[in-house]
Amino acid sequence: MKEKAIVGMALDPQYARFIYNETNPDDVMRKPEAIDDMVVLDMSYGNYAGLFASSILAELGAEVIRIEPPEGDIARKMTPYGIMVKDAGLAYLTEGRNKFHVTLNIESEEGRGILKRLVKKADVLIESFKPGYMDSLGVGYRQLREINPGLIYCAVNTYGQFGKDAKEHASQPDYDLADQARGVIMSVTGEPELDPEVPDEYKKPLKHGNWMGWYAGGAWAAFGILLAMFYKRKTGKGQMIDAAPPEGMLAISNYLMQYFHLTKKKMVRAGNFDYAVFPYTYVRCKDGYTFMSGFTDPNWAALCEIMNRPDLQKQFPTIKERLTPENQPKIQHEIEKFTMNYTAAELLEIVTEYSRRPDKKGTVVTGRLNAPKEVLEVEHFKVKRMFVKLKDPHYGEVLVPNSTLRFMSKTPGRVKWVCRPIGADNEYIYGKYLGISGKRLEELKEKGVV
Amino acid sequence: MKITELLILNGGIVLSVEKYMDYVKKLLGAEDIFDRDEPLKGVRVLEVCSVVLGPAATDYLAEFGAEVIKFEARRGDQMRYVTPYAFFWRNLSPGLLEQNHNKYWVGMHLGHPKAREIFYEFVKKSDVVVDNLTPGRLSKWGLSYDRLREINPRIIQLHVSGFGSWGPYTGRTSYDAIAQSEGGLAYITGFEGRGPLKSGVWIADWTTALMCAVAIVAALNYRERTGEGQYIDYSQVENVIRFLDWTWTYVDMTGENRERVGNRDLAICPSDLFDCKDGWVAIVAFTEEEFMGLCKAMDRMDLYEKFADPLERLKDENARQILKEIAEWAKTKTVKEVEELADKYGFAATHVVEADEAYYSEHLRERGAIMAYDDPLYGEFVEPCYPPRMETPARLKWGARPIGFDNEFVLTKYLGLSMEEIEQLYEEGVIYRWNPDVKPQCPPPDWDGKKGLKFP
Repeated sequence: MKEKAIVGMALDPQYARFIYNETNPDDVMRKPEAIDDMVVLDMSYGNYAGLFASSILAELGAEVIRIEPPEGDIARKMTPYGIMVKDAGLAYLTEGRNKFHVTLNIESEEGRGILKRLVKKADVLIESFKPGYMDSLGVGYRQLREINPGLIYCAVNTYGQFGKDAKEHASQPDYDLADQARGVIMSVTGEPELDPEVPDEYKKPLKHGNWMGWYAGGAWAAFGILLAMFYKRKTGKGQMIDAAPPEGMLAISNYLMQYFHLTKKKMVRAGNFDYAVFPYTYVRCKDGYTFMSGFTDPNWAALCEIMNRPDLQKQFPTIKERLTPENQPKIQHEIEKFTMNYTAAELLEIVTEYSRRPDKKGTVVTGRLNAPKEVLEVEHFKVKRMFVKLKDPHYGEVLVPNSTLRFMSKTPGRVKWVCRPIGADNEYIYGKYLGISGKRLEELKEKGVV
Repeated sequence: MKITELLILNGGIVLSVEKYMDYVKKLLGAEDIFDRDEPLKGVRVLEVCSVVLGPAATDYLAEFGAEVIKFEARRGDQMRYVTPYAFFWRNLSPGLLEQNHNKYWVGMHLGHPKAREIFYEFVKKSDVVVDNLTPGRLSKWGLSYDRLREINPRIIQLHVSGFGSWGPYTGRTSYDAIAQSEGGLAYITGFEGRGPLKSGVWIADWTTALMCAVAIVAALNYRERTGEGQYIDYSQVENVIRFLDWTWTYVDMTGENRERVGNRDLAICPSDLFDCKDGWVAIVAFTEEEFMGLCKAMDRMDLYEKFADPLERLKDENARQILKEIAEWAKTKTVKEVEELADKYGFAATHVVEADEAYYSEHLRERGAIMAYDDPLYGEFVEPCYPPRMETPARLKWGARPIGFDNEFVLTKYLGLSMEEIEQLYEEGVIYRWNPDVKPQCPPPDWDGKKGLKFP
């Protein structure tokens, strides 16, 4: 690879080269996997928190067996505008990675018998049914721990598996929007409540554009599972994990709870402003939007110098003036008078040039607000193989984001295949683990068990 | 799910679910959290981090039992000065508290040659080193992975930055908002026809930190199997990209951008936020059964007959029609009425929970998701405690500390230094405490000089 592509703007080029050698993407497939001794049963249904959790484990080498009902997981149908590639939607193609796919009807006696036999061989079971459903079938944690005391049983639901609200809403399924709505962050995300220029119809809570509730919830579940596995390696003990995605959001809601505790006041929706740091905001520029910051006093001085606006620095000299909801729209407006004259790339150049001046007053940071199409074209991500396009024997050419864990020097995360059709691995998995194949498998198919 | 339906009788829950939940509560409830094991007991982490991204990664580990020793530069963690509306509580910034719990605080700048030697001693006795400084900064100080693994081959070192330690953009400064914008999250967040918006919180920091913690625990699992440590390089912008579900496959396949559509979900229908008589309610019903439940609740079985198939509902024209019908119905209901109908008919509906409701929630307290603790230095705090709820759970022991607050404790306990040696280090400026003139570095104004100190 070209030297410049490796060292970029590195502070220490030698270090950049060293890390490149330690984490070279060409070597990923030849290196060991962190947890390829683990077997995970992912029975999550219509739930990308469960699916993302098992994706993380699968990227790290765990043998993940997706157990779907005979007609397939409804999650396969969660896809923009209903676009399907054979039996999988676009979201499912993204999170089917490295997983084996079997079908099993756990509402039949025989199906539950098969599940119990699989559980004996598994380290982890993930499910996202309504709380108590598995238990009522005789295959909840309470019963399965008897068969396998080392089992890590992870249940995902908006309200969790116990507690006042869980009892009240036990009949509700888990969805991303509900997870975001109950995770408090949504209440402070959206257009600025105190900006008079925002029409009333837009003054309401806003979810993140992606399934943030599910993805954060899934990352928390995977974290819990890996913690439990680490504990199991030392003690032999399994355990129950109750992963409620809204709690995963609440737990990362900045200082909202701390501020409320200390003042009994709530924060309001700030839009692109930030009531703890400002300017730290997206501004309009000639070709879209870009980020602009200069929030500490020296950095604000630097930004005012770049804009050639000493008057602004005088008018808003300290963070006390800059953090009020009234002043922020004013400052924003003044910054845009400057940035509207340049493209995002030109602004990056201006800022970078300033940062090299020996007499600079502080640090200003900028970065383009990319549309997804633009992200796919960024050279940096190409060089680092952030996206992989795999030629799948069943689904054709599919582009998916790579594992972000691929820069672990000894055990990099990886994507081996994108997805499998419904029940594609019945023969392999049931044969390998339970000795069920040939005629016996045919019989089960006929009975609708698999 | 027929059996689930059997469990729900007229909106009341039959005994078996109650029993199940009581059983789980016994395993996971908040009451005896301190009597249960910590999964990371005995894992020692050295933190060379500032702001949110790095400190949050180690905070997740600290609440699950790791011993985290935090090394601060002279001016201290930048979050000492970042706080909403410039509000401070007895000299403490709530912005510092939020991602710093259960840690041990040392004032020591690792650029100092003598500090470096001391740090090597810590590395011998530790499991993990985490930093979020500019990539290559630690290497300039002689703390690169090639050096640290010589000292301790079992060490796991993680570095996290905006764009990673190599590549065309390495060395570029990044913040949470840059990761949100460069990675495409801000572009897809916002109302239809309006501008892009960033999250109400530093979501890219927190979620990236979480994946750093995932990587570290994965590496600990591997080390448990093989005895080998490793180096981990993690990028914040990449993390944002990874979290954007179907975006990339869609853009690549269709050549179209993913545009902003407010609270509507393009891959699940119906799923949106609706106006009721008295507020907003989120409603979701995707499976045939759930959608039937919603249509029954609305008394609109004609909608069900027309749109039973989930894939049909996702077509843009159909989706807009269905959402419009629900919007008109929701206007005639209160939020509470819709939530009760959801409980009865088995679809999802909830109001938007705000900070005060979460704070006072009986549910979150009995789960240990919100926990009160009495900090010896600052008094009572009530804060979120990290999920998930486990038999080996997270817990809050104490909050943030002034600069260098635990110097003596850490240097005597872990390195066995004498008080004379420690005095010497103060004199040489290798270690230091808070500057009394800079309040956000200091203990509370009425501190008695003893409370909260672990030694002497």
